[in-house]
Amino acid sequence: MIRFLLRRLGLAIPTLLGVSLVIFVTIRIVPGDPVASLLGPTGSPEARAELTTKLGLDKPIPVQYVTWLGRVAQGDLGRSIAKQTDALAYVWEAFRNTITLSLFAAVVAIVGGIALGVIAATRRGKVASAISSGLSLFAVSAPQYSVGLIFIVYLAAGRGWFPTGGMRNTTGADAGTTLDLIRHLWLPGISAALVPLGIIARMVRSSMLDALAADFVEALRARGLPEWKIRWHAFHNTLPSVLTIAGLQVGYLLGGVIFVEVVFSWPGLGLVVFQSISQRDLPVIQAGVLVSALAFVVINLIVDTLHGLLDPRIRR
Amino acid sequence: MTTLATTSDADIMTDATPPAGGTSGATLRLRDLHTTFSSRGLTVHAVRGVDLDLHPGEITVLLGESGSGKSVTAKSIMRLYGANATFAGTVELDGRGDLLAAGPKEMLSVRGPEIALIPQDPSAALDPLRRIGAQIVEVLRQHKAVPSRAAAKARALELLGQVGIPDPARVYRSFPHELSGGMRQRAVIAIAVSCDPKVLIADEPTTALDVTVQAQILALFRSLIDRMGSAVLLVTHDVGVAEEVGDRIGVMYAGRIVEYGPAADVLGDPRHPYTRALLDSIPTPGVERGQLRSITGQPPVSGELPPGCAFAPRCPEAHDRCRATDPVLVDLPGRRLAACHLLTDDPDAPAGPGDPTDAGAAGPTGGPGGPDGPVDAAGPTDETPVEAPAPAGEESAA
Amino acid sequence: MTATQLVGDDTADTPTDTAPGDAIPAPDGSTPARDTRPSGTVKRRRLGWPARIAGGVCASFLLAALLAPLIAPYEPLADDRSNRLQPFFSGGHLLGTDGQGRDVLSRVIWGARPSILTGLIPVFVAGLIGTLLGLVAGLGSHRVNTIIMRTLDVFYAFPAVLLAIAIAAALGSGTSNAIIALSVILVPPIARLAESEVARIRSAAFMEAARVSGAGWWSIALRHVLPNAAPAIVVYCTALVGLSIVYAAGLGFLGLGVAPPTAEWGLMVNELRQFTFSAPGISLVPAVVILIASVAFNVFGDGLRDLLDVKGDGR
Repeated sequence: MIRFLLRRLGLAIPTLLGVSLVIFVTIRIVPGDPVASLLGPTGSPEARAELTTKLGLDKPIPVQYVTWLGRVAQGDLGRSIAKQTDALAYVWEAFRNTITLSLFAAVVAIVGGIALGVIAATRRGKVASAISSGLSLFAVSAPQYSVGLIFIVYLAAGRGWFPTGGMRNTTGADAGTTLDLIRHLWLPGISAALVPLGIIARMVRSSMLDALAADFVEALRARGLPEWKIRWHAFHNTLPSVLTIAGLQVGYLLGGVIFVEVVFSWPGLGLVVFQSISQRDLPVIQAGVLVSALAFVVINLIVDTLHGLLDPRIRR
Repeated sequence: MTTLATTSDADIMTDATPPAGGTSGATLRLRDLHTTFSSRGLTVHAVRGVDLDLHPGEITVLLGESGSGKSVTAKSIMRLYGANATFAGTVELDGRGDLLAAGPKEMLSVRGPEIALIPQDPSAALDPLRRIGAQIVEVLRQHKAVPSRAAAKARALELLGQVGIPDPARVYRSFPHELSGGMRQRAVIAIAVSCDPKVLIADEPTTALDVTVQAQILALFRSLIDRMGSAVLLVTHDVGVAEEVGDRIGVMYAGRIVEYGPAADVLGDPRHPYTRALLDSIPTPGVERGQLRSITGQPPVSGELPPGCAFAPRCPEAHDRCRATDPVLVDLPGRRLAACHLLTDDPDAPAGPGDPTDAGAAGPTGGPGGPDGPVDAAGPTDETPVEAPAPAGEESAA
Repeated sequence: MTATQLVGDDTADTPTDTAPGDAIPAPDGSTPARDTRPSGTVKRRRLGWPARIAGGVCASFLLAALLAPLIAPYEPLADDRSNRLQPFFSGGHLLGTDGQGRDVLSRVIWGARPSILTGLIPVFVAGLIGTLLGLVAGLGSHRVNTIIMRTLDVFYAFPAVLLAIAIAAALGSGTSNAIIALSVILVPPIARLAESEVARIRSAAFMEAARVSGAGWWSIALRHVLPNAAPAIVVYCTALVGLSIVYAAGLGFLGLGVAPPTAEWGLMVNELRQFTFSAPGISLVPAVVILIASVAFNVFGDGLRDLLDVKGDGR
């Protein structure tokens, strides 16, 4: 198991390098001359040359990449132009709220997706199956911002059942309690969960159908096991592959959650990135993307480990 | 003419006794079992009236090509089919009555403690994600064969030992993929016999194994049966397997038993042309390769059965009556049965123009079924084995 | 036959089973569409009714975009401060007016142009690039294949939306930059599908004949491989259009697409969401339009995929 883990960690390194390279490229494709934009139109040629050297822009691109990578490894992603603070620290603060929201959404997506998928697979040809199939198709197609707005209009603004946005109440009896947080989590959580929920449901459905058609199911039936136990065996066999997809989906949540945060004013990474876009605060956007990509890699690592735990066949 | 033939058939049918030659002492009795699959308007009549008795301590072999309905017969006994299968006839289990009329709950208590299955591919018969021990314990607990969890583990270890696994404790903790094919099949057998079933159904139990392991498993099988006294139905396409462990043999073709009798007799002195063809198609030591012949043509697709004997289009000895009416099983001396007109036709019967046995050679229309070119070329009445340089009928030999 | 209910029947309900929601391109993750149909059954396939309805909806969206000047009742940019936030069906404004008194229906119709274009063009561009990469990777040496496919794998280490945002933000707002960003993130899944299609065709018998006959690389690629791989790729791309439209509107929503006051669905969502309390119905219009377009394009693409039995991984 330890060796399995180490190998997985080893495989993550090229991925991380690739990620860093892509982010470096997105920095380099920023149109315009960074020196000119930093100095303004009044900069003298000497000042320009000095800044160019200072920023390392006179070096060849590969050298620039390595230097940049070294800085990134030390957690230096530049300073926020708008806030004049360390970009990574600023982003990290917001990212913790994103983790809260994403974890909640992940639980909703996995629980809901598995339930919907199992229903669709085991009640085929019946109304419940048609409804769950239709629901998962709808969920997969639903843009987070549309769903979020519909939720706000019908469940929050009009009815007052849920708060329309934010993460915590600042006033009121339960301000700052966990209960308050959960009340704020429901709508954004479900909005963010919908797409992965639909995908997980489809995945569960098809692997459950595969598992129920597997030869060992007939063997189990021949042993006189009742149908629910057979389904449990089949479900257990879908878990490794479902887990892989679910893990990927939780990773992709980090993308969709941006829209949800904007719609619900959730003080997370997405909201920070959104505000930085209008301010053209590129270091913050890059730090945000890097943090998300890192989280994505970490999630994949965790998923691989769980996969190894769940499926003895790949554990070597 | 046809009318006459039919009447004579009907007479024979009433005379026919169940294939076991007496029903006393049978653990499981199949009577006129039919299994039909239908899917979107397409109907496949896979088993077309099988009578069979299984006796305690005896291994009855169902022998036939793939598609002959032998596996379907075996699985129909346990009703291991979905809503697209319909059954007719009776499957009577000693002390339980007709299983085809039993409710789903009752079937759950039949599968395992009363009738157990050893499936074809041991690696596909085990849940890949559960340890072997857990899978045995699950069955023991399900059927309340043991009083406690600890007793279940002890019994499981004992069972693993009984099926000749040298290191039961290790196998108990192993996942299926960690075992060799032979070990896996032993584990599967351990699960099957865990609840002391009265009837054991083995569906090609050694097909997925290599030859040396096959022999070991068959020997284990034989010794287990001798000890437990279960009635066994073993399904195989392998004449060698049938010869090695079979007490009685039923040869199946196109959903019916065409020949039945004590194993040695059926294999030593086959009466049905199909059995002969089947035996001719396997290599035997001492017989030259050149004399091997395969059965020409394909087994019929159910739903496209010829009007008469299902084997007639491939039968080198078929004559007009074979193509007109379906033969039924008739008693032969030595508690044997076979379904073939050649065995019942007496030369006086007005079955066709002239002597029925010569009908094949009588004229071009009397030749065997058109689709089977090679037989045509070899000559339908040519009883001698085809020699090596023979022009046709040879290409398809192994 | 009560026991029959115990056993899941795998064949009985397939004809209806394929209809709703079986295999849309997974917008995220790699969910190969699975065909649970038993092999060997021949049946005449055609689009199911959900896919046909969806196709009609897609066509009307395209038509609206095309005929915007003819069918839009008002100028999309004509503001009228005295007529702010008029409700539905008031004063000839079928879908009301927005915060500047502009007719929402007209803006939705005109908005279809940039919204659908920003969705369609990236699929087209990525389709071309992805196919080329797939051809080169699939027909090239093992090394070429490894280099291309491993490079593409890196893109799977990002949530796709995030990468699109990063690229679009770096390039700056604007329709063309949004198109570039979306094209980049759509290339990897298309290239993966193309590569697997090429690999499949490559092993076919007629390829051996073509190679033996001494045909050159380009000749083999263009004359033998491409025509055989094209249907699957085209269908897969069709299935990606819905996703691409959602992403495009998402970039617009974040302010990375067209600049105001141009009408574009994503931007409209953002402009109108401040009125969730004062004019809840109107604030939802563009969001619902995108939702309908997304569902319609996905169901239609799904139906096409089912029809041709194309498998592929989306994201």
